[in-house]
Amino acid sequence: MTGGESTAWKLVSLSPLPTWALVLLGTAVVLGVGLASVGLRREPSARRRLVLGLLRVLAGAAALLLLLEPGVRHVQTSRVKNRMAVLVDRSASMSFPAAPGAASRSVAVAEALARLAPGLKALEERFGVEILGFEPAIVPVTEEVLRAVPPSGSRTDLLGALRALRATDSGGAKKLSGVLLFSDGADNAELQNGLTPRTRAELTGLGFPVSTVQVGDPSLLDVSVENLRVDDFAFVRNAVTVEVELRVRGFPGRDVPVVLEREGQVLGTRTVHIGGADETHPVSFSFTPDQTGRFVYTLSAPVFPGEAVTENNSRSFVLKVIRDRVRVLLVVGRPSWDERFLRGLLRQDANVDLVSFYILRTQSDDTQTRNPERELSLIPFPMEEIFDAKLHTFDVVVFQNFGHADPQLSIAQYERKLEQYVANGGALVAIGGDRAFGEGRTSYPVLDRALPVDAAGQGSSLGPYHVHLTPDGQRNPVTRVLPTAAASQAAWEELPSGSGLNLVKVKPGATVLLEDPGLQVNGRPAPLLALWDHGRGRAMALMTDDSWTWAFTVHRNGDPSRLYDRFWGNALRWLVRDPDLTNLQVTADPPSVEPGAPLGAVVTAREADYQPAGGAEVTVELSSVRDHRLVASAKATTAPDGTAHVAFPPQPVGAYRIHAVARSGERVLGEGDDAVAVRTVGPELTDPSVRADILSDLARSTGGKSYRLPLQGLPDLPLLDPPVVEVGRSKDRPLWDRWEWLVVLGTLLGLEWMLRRRYGYI
Amino acid sequence: MFAKPMAGRPLSRRTLLAALPTLLAARGARAFGDGSRFIPAVAQHGGRWDARVSGLRRIAWELQRRTSVEVVAEARPLGLGVRLFDYPFVYFGGEGDFPPLTGPELETLRRYLTYGGFLLADANDGSSGTGFDAAFRREMARVLPASPLQPLPSSHVVFKTFYLLDAAPGRLFTHPQLSAAVLGGRAAVLYSQNDLAGAWARDEGGDYAFEVVPGGEAQRELAVRAGINICMYALCLDYKDDAVHLPLILKKRR
Repeated sequence: MTGGESTAWKLVSLSPLPTWALVLLGTAVVLGVGLASVGLRREPSARRRLVLGLLRVLAGAAALLLLLEPGVRHVQTSRVKNRMAVLVDRSASMSFPAAPGAASRSVAVAEALARLAPGLKALEERFGVEILGFEPAIVPVTEEVLRAVPPSGSRTDLLGALRALRATDSGGAKKLSGVLLFSDGADNAELQNGLTPRTRAELTGLGFPVSTVQVGDPSLLDVSVENLRVDDFAFVRNAVTVEVELRVRGFPGRDVPVVLEREGQVLGTRTVHIGGADETHPVSFSFTPDQTGRFVYTLSAPVFPGEAVTENNSRSFVLKVIRDRVRVLLVVGRPSWDERFLRGLLRQDANVDLVSFYILRTQSDDTQTRNPERELSLIPFPMEEIFDAKLHTFDVVVFQNFGHADPQLSIAQYERKLEQYVANGGALVAIGGDRAFGEGRTSYPVLDRALPVDAAGQGSSLGPYHVHLTPDGQRNPVTRVLPTAAASQAAWEELPSGSGLNLVKVKPGATVLLEDPGLQVNGRPAPLLALWDHGRGRAMALMTDDSWTWAFTVHRNGDPSRLYDRFWGNALRWLVRDPDLTNLQVTADPPSVEPGAPLGAVVTAREADYQPAGGAEVTVELSSVRDHRLVASAKATTAPDGTAHVAFPPQPVGAYRIHAVARSGERVLGEGDDAVAVRTVGPELTDPSVRADILSDLARSTGGKSYRLPLQGLPDLPLLDPPVVEVGRSKDRPLWDRWEWLVVLGTLLGLEWMLRRRYGYI
Repeated sequence: MFAKPMAGRPLSRRTLLAALPTLLAARGARAFGDGSRFIPAVAQHGGRWDARVSGLRRIAWELQRRTSVEVVAEARPLGLGVRLFDYPFVYFGGEGDFPPLTGPELETLRRYLTYGGFLLADANDGSSGTGFDAAFRREMARVLPASPLQPLPSSHVVFKTFYLLDAAPGRLFTHPQLSAAVLGGRAAVLYSQNDLAGAWARDEGGDYAFEVVPGGEAQRELAVRAGINICMYALCLDYKDDAVHLPLILKKRR
């Protein structure tokens, strides 16, 4: 691509002598003229001095002309048509309104380009004009694209875009003469905090001027939640701190509440008073998650009339709440071997944080002390503290042979709290004995609602019992103490017979894992171990106080057995809903997505015996947390490894629950759920600011100029002139190689010789 | 040093009579399998193992009377065989030397202690370096070579499991400290050289069988309390070391 061609001429030397020879001869000529002048210093006649000097100078000049052989060179030239780039910011912030109530910044650029079109057309005589967008990759754009396609770039990197543009400058016709940059200047990369000496130097070194056009009105109204700082995960029952910044522009004197919610449940509110026109306030929340799992949290501020952007008034994040250690409350009706071996196990388990209370003495016990306060180490049973204030801090509450009628030891007034604790997600274990399951002098009918069994009204069996693993027990992870069902069954059946069994009835919906077929309750084998889900929590009942023999007596023959450890380990994991012990696992993949990105989930199904459930039909539903509305659903079939992947189309900003059900034929394998967030805003949409300072500094550093919309026409942009290059062949025409010039030289020298002779110099 | 039988004491009978209603009330509670109850087993070895059987019955009785623990107030003599595994608490006492344990006995006792069994050893002869003491230390070095008997500090939880005590006197008070063999942080063996059970023992007439020296009846009460604490330790392990108890216990000890 070149400009128009023209012809030019210039004087050149056509002498075949090398340069050094020409210099030597030229010096000799100059010396000859100089010596002649020295020789004429004593000449009294000024006229003679002038004539003789003039003749010598003219002769010297004629000699130089003969030596240099001057000529005229005729050349054809052309001016190169370089590039000029119009660079348009295509980051998501360009979707903000250019002014309150106006079209987007991107549309404003399109309108400006329409107005500048004649000027750009005129420039095309000298430059190749390219209209490009950066998002941040550089791609050609048109006015139509700017109007029709919303900008979606995830970041604004002005320096990066200019670097990429310079990389396309390979000289010649690709050389950049200048850039006209349309942007809001809201850089969130290297220029985020303004220009630094390094970036300024790099801009200067680009080698072409960058003129900037500010898009957008800096005097906007906006409330935004920015700079969220929170960890990716937290420990249950440990305080979590969330920090954000609330930036409010244009609402002086207002009180702005910031609300923290977990999937619709308000966790806290902070109110910030705004004094000035543009203020940023740090806001901090601290809360204590009480459940494990993955949850979507949202921080939001209200939307005020006239705000330029409403999407940045809230921000969502996903927090994975994990447990640090299983916190177990062990309440023991009286010391016994059953308590001793359970305590020994729980105390040794590094994953268990054990808090225990034992009733060591009742009113009827005579301690033989005069001053019990000083002689006994006993402390009052802190019922209020553990069953009221601290109850929620425990993952599992274990009542071991506990059922006192003594008012000082009765927990009757906390029954409802305990039942609610289970219904709301806690876990309860009741272990038998002469004070449990209706055997004691009192009962707790409200708390008993949480248990999977009822007292049968038949008292207890004091004789030996034999442990039998039920079919449900063979599949259930609680009683799966060895890798295979057969091995587990053998381990259970080999246990020594125990003594003392509370006779109970199993409630509908409960699962019996262990029983004694030799004892009957209401015509069915007497249950030994039963469990069920109660509300959101879980409960387990062990109808004997003789399970210590599984830990101790079992070793009498020298055979190592870890049945007791594994049983309780499995039981605790099941009680606290360890994800590894669920039949269906649902995992949002990824846990949070940018607006416009698809949502996904991985579902892993297992059979009741915890083998991978290949070929299972999985139904996955996506529902909005805010209004519980089903927004999408998908079906999939699991692979042989039990996993299935499902994807959902992009969803609006917000928190969503993924709920999955897996079926094998008519049989439900399990249900599970997880949370996913469509992030309210990424860094690009957080801040609708227009950074005129960055744009003007950038232009100044590169030798460009800065403008702002609206532009009525193309301004006089600083652009590098395209270079001129020779094209075609040159023609030389000699000027001094005629014989007449030799005659002139001879005549001049001869005339000088003649005059010198006449004047007596020779 | 062998214990000298002592005459019966009317005070003891009155105490016994006063305690009868409590004991009978406790025994009237519904029974629920003996498996989880406290039953002291008495180890039969080749020496004089049965000198304090009545003392074991007595301490079980006191445990029933003074605490919420349900007991079978018997002392069940057992050889050092697999039946030990039905009784997590075993008393190993004696007067004078006894023959070395057999290989199977050593193995059984080692397994018993390793898997959670508790052994209360008691030098009924109050010996030190001779007699029962020498024999027992010799055998323990064979049973638990990696866990030698060590003096137990008075800060150990056994001194606060029920009563607040500073020492564990028995019929004698020549060795203020108990010794212990510790397995995995648990005192699997507690050893007294003060003839603890001698202070608890009663004769067939219901009188205390031996005098207690040098502290008399006050020392006997301390010996009973030490026995209660030891039984409580066997049943509750380090329960009283839980953080929830510490402030109050420290306050009481001031």
